[in-house]
Amino acid sequence: MAPSLCAICKTQRALIKRPKNHTKLCKACFISIFEDEVHHTIISSELFQSGEKVAIGASGGKDSTVLASVLKTLNERHGYGLDLVLLSIDEGIKGYRDDSLETVKRNATQYDMPLKIVGYDELYGWTMDQVVETIGKKGNCTYCGVFRRQALDRGAKMLGIKHVVTGHNADDVAETVLMNLLRGDLSRLSRSTSIVTGDSRSEVKRSKPLKYSYEKEIVLYAHHKKLDYFSTECIYSPEAFRGSARSLIKQLERVRPSAILDIVRSGEDMARLVPGEPSPSSVAEDDSGGCGSQNGRTPGNEMAAMDKELRDNQAFEGLEIDVTKTMPDSKMAQKEKLWDLPLRNAGSKGVTRQVLGNCKRCGYMSSQEICQACTLLEGLNKNRPQIQI
Amino acid sequence: MTFRALNHAHIAMEETKPLARPCAKCRAQEATLDSRSQAVCSDCFAKFISTKCIKQIAILGKETRVPGHGPPPPNTAATGDTTSARRYLVGLSLGVSSSVLLQLLNENIEFQLARGRNAPFELTIVHVDASSSLSLGSQQQQSDNAAEEILSKYRQRYPRFDFRCIPLSAALSLQTIDWTALTPLTLPDSHPSKSPAGRLSELFDNLPSAASRTDTLRLFIRHILISTSRLERCQALLLGHSTTALAELTLSETAKGRGFSLPWQINDGALPVVNYSSSIKTNSPEVPAATAAAAAETVLIYHPLQDVLRKELTTYATLTSPPLTALISDLQDKTIATSSSAVVSHKDLSIEEVMFRYFAEVEENYPSVVANVARTTGKLLRLDGTAGGENTTTWCGMCSMPLDEQGDKRWRGELGEEEKTTTTANGTAATGGRLCYGCERTTLG
Repeated sequence: MAPSLCAICKTQRALIKRPKNHTKLCKACFISIFEDEVHHTIISSELFQSGEKVAIGASGGKDSTVLASVLKTLNERHGYGLDLVLLSIDEGIKGYRDDSLETVKRNATQYDMPLKIVGYDELYGWTMDQVVETIGKKGNCTYCGVFRRQALDRGAKMLGIKHVVTGHNADDVAETVLMNLLRGDLSRLSRSTSIVTGDSRSEVKRSKPLKYSYEKEIVLYAHHKKLDYFSTECIYSPEAFRGSARSLIKQLERVRPSAILDIVRSGEDMARLVPGEPSPSSVAEDDSGGCGSQNGRTPGNEMAAMDKELRDNQAFEGLEIDVTKTMPDSKMAQKEKLWDLPLRNAGSKGVTRQVLGNCKRCGYMSSQEICQACTLLEGLNKNRPQIQI
Repeated sequence: MTFRALNHAHIAMEETKPLARPCAKCRAQEATLDSRSQAVCSDCFAKFISTKCIKQIAILGKETRVPGHGPPPPNTAATGDTTSARRYLVGLSLGVSSSVLLQLLNENIEFQLARGRNAPFELTIVHVDASSSLSLGSQQQQSDNAAEEILSKYRQRYPRFDFRCIPLSAALSLQTIDWTALTPLTLPDSHPSKSPAGRLSELFDNLPSAASRTDTLRLFIRHILISTSRLERCQALLLGHSTTALAELTLSETAKGRGFSLPWQINDGALPVVNYSSSIKTNSPEVPAATAAAAAETVLIYHPLQDVLRKELTTYATLTSPPLTALISDLQDKTIATSSSAVVSHKDLSIEEVMFRYFAEVEENYPSVVANVARTTGKLLRLDGTAGGENTTTWCGMCSMPLDEQGDKRWRGELGEEEKTTTTANGTAATGGRLCYGCERTTLG
């Protein structure tokens, strides 16, 4: 059988079957189309301004390494005029971050970018090792995730940078969409697909330029560009729930490669259907994925905890009367277009809207009076481990 | 087939023998089942399931009483029939859920008749038979007459109802599908020599994957049920989806890129019916924008089992007398085989099958999560895709859901994709109607 030729240049031998749509490409064309697509996303979403100082949240993992490499390439090729900086968080986990931080340090020299490492101990007075010593391994990913979310922003603030980019990819976004459907969290669903998070109230803008890039393509890009990245799971991350959204997405991808993008598309559209959300662009806290670890993204006990909470709620449901359910008709008949009718349940059990403010203690944006990080810290400092969020 | 709960309770009270594990509801019988973290007896369990269904039927009953919703009951004027009986169409897949639905509706009628009342509704039962015209990979079904054979058992058991068996190929002559939008796949009139079944299997052969074939099958069945329901002047179409099935549908359709139309698909209520009769070339529905509501072509779709989990329906099917399992045994075996057998190749799987496996596990361990999925999606708004109300709604030629102009535009912008110029396999450009994002995926890959 004759070797098939690249579908784009038609001259080179095709070596890569694109995970996204199974087109056969040569190495050079794959790298160039991957970069072009990220470029298109950046331009169409107007992510950057010329002269902007941008921090790349760098963990040493494949996503952030590819992000740094692609942004450096595009910045030079298309003259974005960006001042790129690597920003790393040191959670203080011996044996995990030691190695990945070495990778980030090498990346800094390879890409000729300044690097700033901020430690949890600096930001919160606790390393993750100390947290685990206090509360044990169970549930520590919650702490790490909450601390990490703010750490990048706080670190950026220390450097006087107003824009942080993260390596969240299409798989991450699709996973968040499915998890929020399973959780029944429409508020988060409406926010999770936005490419930019953080609004005027927050001092630091967050964005994810790889939002439409498949994880598998990121791995391929890293491989063919021979990028220097680090892949080890966090030593504290627990065994994930077997049927988690992540594994579901991987199966769907095998059945239909476009499924990941299709889920992202669905998620973006559904964001406009959430009642009471003015527009999906005014967004609040970024809540996709706790840490760069595959396992840590969906903590093992999340489903069980959610199930229990829902059961508890159900116990009270019998005491409520759903007024709209018992008298749906009179109003409905008067409407002119039938498909404009409010649904039986729509509105009545409306979605709880979160009002965004700032944490009274640290000033970080929060829908609560005191932000999650400060609440957890209070618990830690009182040496009282279990806090429900 | 009535349940002897009261009798049993009575007897049990006279007996003094203490129960080892009394039912948490009636306290009079031995609990044999676990239902939503309670130990209950089979009578109380059956009553619980029945109540869940009848509650929804009662809501529908109020809905169908409103003038202007759906066509009037058949022949009321001509025959002078004074019963204002409602007439519903039930989609029967011959699986557990729709069979249980049938059983529960039959019980409800018997209950009313026993009290000297009129039957609260009449039913037309429709089974769409895909097996005679299609063999869909892993969805391989029975041989030619199998569906009719099984249906005759249903007719014996429920002589009161009118059972129809409609071949899937009937979809080809439906005017609720915009065939011009599907020209890359088939031109229904282009091979008059071929039988409908032959043309149908040609259409399915042209679909890009097993996932697409299963998706199309589901949509065609839905079209046939909706059209038959209108033809038979039924006031509502009842579907047997359980909580679990609705959760699966929610995630499946999300995975197929149809998030925008999800609230239209899974919620109860009126759906517009679009008619593409061959004389009309436009893609606009035959609905005068804001004139009389009676002119709007709509169909009411209800899911009476929406509050019951699939595993509860499976249990229920064993409790009726005689058990429903005899009726549905073949299909149950099929279901079990699907859930437990190892995946041979993902290429032959559909998105629905992946979701089925996933939710079988979730339902077992976290039933409340399953219930939450459908409840959540129910809160999403039904938008008609006009984004501001200036334009009239355009409907997808295949799934009949509103097209999302705003979403399509933004998506093309962000991904830099050209508007899909649909070309057929032999290179001629399609000039027909439009498809939604999800149906484009299904038909074009």
